[in-house]
Amino acid sequence: MARVHNWQIGREMSYWYPESRPKKQFAAVFDTNKCIACQTCTLACKTTWTSGKGQEYMLWNNVETKPYGSYPLAWDLKLLEMLDGGQWSGGTYTGQTIFESARAGERVLSWRPEGDDYAYPNVGEDDCAGTVDGGMSLSMPHMAWFYYLARICNHCTYPACLASCPRGSIYKRPEDGIVLVDQGRCRGYQECVKGCPYKKVYFNPMTGTSEKCIACYPKMEVGLQPQCFVNCIGKIRMAGYISTPENARPDNPIDYLVHVRKIALPMYPQYGLEPNVYYIPPIHVPPAFLRQMFGPGVDAAIAAYRNAANDPDLAGLLSLFGATESVMTRWVRKGEEVAGVDDRGTTLVRVPMTEPVHVRAGFDKIYQVMRSNCP
Amino acid sequence: MRRHIVVLVAVASVAAACRPAAVTTPDVVAVMAPAVPESPDDPAWANAPEHVEKLLLQDLVEPRLMTASTPDVRVRAIAGPTEVAFRLEWNDASKDDLPGNGRFVDACAVQVPQRADPNAPDPQMGQAGKGVQIAYWRADWQATVDGRGTTIQDLYPNATVDHYPFEAPTLEKGSAAQSEMARRYAPADAAGNLRGGARTSPVEDLTAEGPGSLSPAGGSKTRGRGVRTATGWSVVIVRPLPDGLAPNARTQVALAVWEGAGKEAGARKMRSGWVALAMRRTS
Ligand code: SF4
Ligand code: SF4
Repeated sequence: MARVHNWQIGREMSYWYPESRPKKQFAAVFDTNKCIACQTCTLACKTTWTSGKGQEYMLWNNVETKPYGSYPLAWDLKLLEMLDGGQWSGGTYTGQTIFESARAGERVLSWRPEGDDYAYPNVGEDDCAGTVDGGMSLSMPHMAWFYYLARICNHCTYPACLASCPRGSIYKRPEDGIVLVDQGRCRGYQECVKGCPYKKVYFNPMTGTSEKCIACYPKMEVGLQPQCFVNCIGKIRMAGYISTPENARPDNPIDYLVHVRKIALPMYPQYGLEPNVYYIPPIHVPPAFLRQMFGPGVDAAIAAYRNAANDPDLAGLLSLFGATESVMTRWVRKGEEVAGVDDRGTTLVRVPMTEPVHVRAGFDKIYQVMRSNCP
Repeated sequence: MRRHIVVLVAVASVAAACRPAAVTTPDVVAVMAPAVPESPDDPAWANAPEHVEKLLLQDLVEPRLMTASTPDVRVRAIAGPTEVAFRLEWNDASKDDLPGNGRFVDACAVQVPQRADPNAPDPQMGQAGKGVQIAYWRADWQATVDGRGTTIQDLYPNATVDHYPFEAPTLEKGSAAQSEMARRYAPADAAGNLRGGARTSPVEDLTAEGPGSLSPAGGSKTRGRGVRTATGWSVVIVRPLPDGLAPNARTQVALAVWEGAGKEAGARKMRSGWVALAMRRTS
C-alpha cells in the first residue's frame, strides 16, 4: 500500500498504487434538484453502448429514487454498514476508507452483489420517506421527501475497481483520467464488480468479461460531452475537467462549482476514492441524510445554491448546463450574458441570464381568431 | 448430535471400503504408452498410478482465498511420444458451469515450468525470467463444447429480451452487416478475447511470469475434456511433453482447482506447490 493525498477527505490515505494524477481529470457536475427521473440518460447510454447480448441488465447510467431506490439492490447501504459510520472533523475524515479497512486477504473493503440484486431496477422505489400530512412540505427541509439520484461511473482518482483487479486489466488514462476495463486483458474474475463501492462495473456473462462506463471517450476526445449529458431532459449535467484544489481556475466551470463556490460535492467521499462526479445536493432533503452521502459541505452548498437568484455568477454558470453538446473548459459572464468557451478561446454558446418574455395579444389579427392557451 | 457424527463416519467408511484401493505415488508418474487417452473414462487410465495431491489455499497474494474448499486432487498421467495426458479428479458436490453476475464456474489447471530447472520457478505462477506454462480447463467452456447453446436463455432460462438492435428486420439474418453490428456491443469479442460464447475447446494455453501476468500462449496446443462423475469432476488435459520430461528425467508440475460454488476465480483458488513429474515405462 502506498500513501496518497485525497483532498476530498482532507488527508493522506493508503492506496494500492502510488499517487499518479492524470494530465487532466474528466469530471462532471449533476444538479440533483433538476432531475425528473425520466431515464432519458439511461436509454441514451443503453442504445449507444449496452444493447448487446449479455448487457441486458447493465446500466452504466442509472437513476434511482432515494432513500429507497438502489441499483444494484442496497449498493450503498451494505457498504455503509460495513464501514461502520466514520466521523468527520471539519473537512477531515477521521474514519477509515475502504482501502484502510480492507479485511485480511482483500484489497478493499467490499461485498459482492448476487445476480438477483440486478434484476429489478427501479421497482417499488418511488416512495416518500414518510406520509405527508397537511402542510408538511411547506417548509424546508421536507419531513417527507424523496429525490432522484442519477449515477454513472465516477472515474475516480483512486479507483477501487482498478485496485481490485489482480491482473491490472483496469487502467486510468493519463491523458484524461477516464477509467477503462481493457477488454483484451480482462479474464472475468469479477473482482472489480465486487470492489467498486458504487457498483459501476458489470459482468457480461455472454462475453465473459466485465464492462463499465467509458465516459463516451470517443466524444470527449473531440470536445463533445457524453450521451447521457447531452440527452438529459432536465439539463442537470455538465461534463468537463477538474483541477486539484490548489490549481483551481475560477474560469473553469467545474472548478468554479466544486472548488470556488463548493456547491457540488462528491458522493460518499468517505469511501476514499476521490470520485469525480460532483452533486449539487437536493435542497429539500434533511441534511443529516445528505451529510452521510455528500460529506460535511452539504449545508454550505445548499445555502449557496438557494441564494443563486442573488448571485449572478452562480446563476449564470448554472444556466450553461445543457446549453451545448460541446465541452466547455472555460466560461465567462459579461453583464446579462454568460458564455461557454473552449480551450482555444472559441465561444461555444451564449445564454442570456434572463430569458426574454413575449406577451402575445389575445386576438390574432392575421387569422382573425381569439387565441387560447392550452394548459 | 454425537450420534449423527457416528452415523456419518460409518457411512463414510463404508463408501471408502467399496472403492478399489488406489496405488498412490509420492510423485506424479507418467507411464509411457503408444498413444495418450483423450477421454476421462478411457480404460488406459487404470495403468497409471494415482497421486493424491493435497491442495493449499492461495494465500500469498491478494485477493486471497480465505476458506479452504477442495481438499485434494487425484492425478494420473500417461505420456505418448510427443504428448502427455493428465487426468485430474476431485470431489465437488455441485456442477457449476453457468457463468453469470455473481456466478462462478468450476475449473482446473496444470502448470509446468517453461524450462526444466532443478531450481524451479516460484510455484505460484512463476517469476520474472522463469516462466511457467499453464493449461486451463473451465466447466462452462466444456458445456458449450458439449452442445449447450450460446443465447442469454442458455445462461438464464427465464430471461426475456424485447429487442437487440442487430436483430432488427432491416438487417439480413446471418449477414456480415448483422454480425458486424452485434460485435459493436460485444467489446471483448471485438478485442479477440473470447472468454464466453461459442467455443471449440474447453481448455486454453497460457503462460505466466508471476502473479497477475497470465497471458494467452498464442496458438492452442492443448486439448481437454471434462465430465461429471458421481462425486465431482474428471478432467483430461493433453498437452505437448513439457521440457525435461523424458525417461529417467524429471520436471515439476503444479495443480489448481477452482470451486465455482465458492465464487472462486483467478487468484481465489486451491493450488499445490511443485510436485515432481517423472516418466516411467510401466506403472
Ligand atoms: S466508480 Fe467504481 S467503476 Fe468507476 S472508477 Fe470508481 S471504482 Fe471504478
Ligand atoms: S435525463 Fe436528466 S432529468 Fe432525465 S433522469 Fe437522466 S439525469 Fe434525470
